[in-house]
Amino acid sequence: MKILVPLKRVADPDNANKIKIPAGGATIDTTGLEWKPNPFDEYALEAALRLTENGATPKTRGGEVIVVTFGPKECETTLRAALATGADRAIRVDAKDDELDGSIVAKALRAIVDKEKPDAVVMGKQAVDGDSNQIGQMLAQHLGWPQATFAATIEEEDGALLVGREVDGGVITLRVKLPALVTVDLRIVAPTSVYSKQTKRDFKYNDGVRFAALPAIMAAKKKPLAELKLAELVSDTALKVQYSRFEAPPSRKAGIKVKDVAELVTRLKNEAKVI
Amino acid sequence: MASTHRLPADFLAELLATLPPDAVTTEPSELAELGRDWTKVFAPSPSAAVFPRSTEEVARVVRLANARGVAVVPSGGRTGLAGGAVAKDGELVLSMSRMRRMDPVDVSGRTVRVQAGAVTAAVHEHVAPHGLTWPVDFASKGSSHVGGNIATNAGGVKVIRYGLTRNWVLGLEVVLASGEVLQLNGALEKNNTGFDLRQLFIGSEGTLGVITEATLKLARLPEKLDVFLFAVEDFAAVLRLFREVRAGGPFTVSAYEFFTDRCFARLERHRGLSMPLSARATHYVLLEVEPDGAASLDAWLASLFERGLVLDGTMAQTSSQAEKLWALREGISESLSATGLPHKNDIAVPIANLEGFTAELDAVFGAGYPGWEICLFGHIGDGNLHVNVMKPEALEKAEFLRQTGAADHAMFELVKKHAGSISAEHGVGLLKKPYLSYSRAPAELAALRAIKGALDPRNTLNPGKILDP
Repeated sequence: MKILVPLKRVADPDNANKIKIPAGGATIDTTGLEWKPNPFDEYALEAALRLTENGATPKTRGGEVIVVTFGPKECETTLRAALATGADRAIRVDAKDDELDGSIVAKALRAIVDKEKPDAVVMGKQAVDGDSNQIGQMLAQHLGWPQATFAATIEEEDGALLVGREVDGGVITLRVKLPALVTVDLRIVAPTSVYSKQTKRDFKYNDGVRFAALPAIMAAKKKPLAELKLAELVSDTALKVQYSRFEAPPSRKAGIKVKDVAELVTRLKNEAKVI
Repeated sequence: MASTHRLPADFLAELLATLPPDAVTTEPSELAELGRDWTKVFAPSPSAAVFPRSTEEVARVVRLANARGVAVVPSGGRTGLAGGAVAKDGELVLSMSRMRRMDPVDVSGRTVRVQAGAVTAAVHEHVAPHGLTWPVDFASKGSSHVGGNIATNAGGVKVIRYGLTRNWVLGLEVVLASGEVLQLNGALEKNNTGFDLRQLFIGSEGTLGVITEATLKLARLPEKLDVFLFAVEDFAAVLRLFREVRAGGPFTVSAYEFFTDRCFARLERHRGLSMPLSARATHYVLLEVEPDGAASLDAWLASLFERGLVLDGTMAQTSSQAEKLWALREGISESLSATGLPHKNDIAVPIANLEGFTAELDAVFGAGYPGWEICLFGHIGDGNLHVNVMKPEALEKAEFLRQTGAADHAMFELVKKHAGSISAEHGVGLLKKPYLSYSRAPAELAALRAIKGALDPRNTLNPGKILDP
């Protein structure tokens, strides 16, 4: 199977408190922030790798995984890390971050799919910076492919994927015919979430995203990494989504110390008005 | 319960007369916590605890306690592993937790002045925006206090690069048993004016004086750290790889840590962690380096594989992966305690003697205590091994402690034979006091007692720790 996995780098969500918004709020100041792959995209890559191997012999590839990202040259770090982890080749679409929105990325991905003709696109359900949760759905629409969003499990069948989606009160299982688009949720990296046709059903993966073996990290530097221009993929590059202003959430007021229970009760009654 | 140090009548009233009412507690549940550290061996039993807010208040408390013959246990984050902060005999606990002021960073001097109760990790966060760090680093940094780090001359995971806490303290403010306050060395890098009293208090475990403030020396924060995990075939291979790392590559080493698969098995059981390498091995090495500029480590790494120095390996691709690799090493101590009762030993031998020492260590335990699970990990880079003996399920705790006491003597004989130390970084406290003579000669012990007698003649500062009068 041939799978395309779109990756996005995001500012480290664990350092959200370091994000600065310059006066006026026109942009977010990203200097000093650490860039990481979007966690859901890492899960998508792990799922794609599992679908293209026999879990018991992961060093032998049983398919092809192509990773693609949009952004400036330094985004290649994210792609190299994905290649080290096991992806077979990579594509970077050269663009500045402020030239992109979900609509443009979805259209550009469609052009790449038309060219690469993968059997499936497997991607994160959303990026944790903008939290838009829309590119997968838009891309499936552009392609006219079946889609299964928020996947918690994927099983490969002949010409189809069996996808489990966790919903309130249960699990919905969808069978999507290939080619298809799947967006993944965090449970996709549990030990028994993804099975290719080659992997035995009693095989258990390590929980989480795999670490890259050192020889693979070194070999990854020689794996192919192609560069495309955004304008070659999309004719209309006008932004559909524009951010008018950013502002930080209101800061919490400092707490106070009360002398005794009586004072606490009085304040809860008169000031907080909760009792 | 022992009550040799119960408080004299009116002592608390006298204490409270000079302090705010919330500065003292005798609440039993609080005292049970305040009277112990991370050792599980001693039953805490302090009489009271006091929380001063200033050096002046510390001096008042210590002076009064000294005058009335009340034993005082200086207390920081209580993460020690030798019982140095344990109060088991009705002592007064002197908690530094309200003295956590941190002054602005002196960027050109690369120093910062802090009170003793500042938490180690808080100091790291305080100085990091200036591209600086206080390179005292270990798993308990989120609770441990600077004062405790200094009083125990703490070690940790970065000693191979930075040395012990002692190297990163410029000045100290110390309250003596008499209540007098000493200002030692200020912020001077150079001060060659006779005995360096500051060094005497570093590592004194609260027995010579109470550290109230310190001027810390800071180091440049590394720009990029690469973290590796390697699998190797045995302990000899751990040392072989270490020699290779020491021989040099395009990097500066900041940690060279090792652990056995038995340690990992406990982590797996306790925290459900999984092994990032494709197959389990018996020994693992965690290596952290700061690469030299843009130099590539590829050739150096490839040669490790080509020459069979490592079986397998991985490198963190992101800082969250680096944290996961570090968790495999830093989580061990906690997981051993959570899944059983470990008897801990923290020994050091010269690196040249490590191989001979561990070979004989196997013989000591294999012959004398068949079936005991030994979990070995440590900081190979500075010759420091943590030897953890896990209590077998079937053995009663008291019997286990009795038998480990005997085994310790056999092991410490071995440590002595290999010119080692019975406590590399945990200190002596109560736990290692009976064994001090394996590492210190009679004349040394006499000198230590003379110093203690000169600075604390009434023996009210952390009595019974390190040595008896």
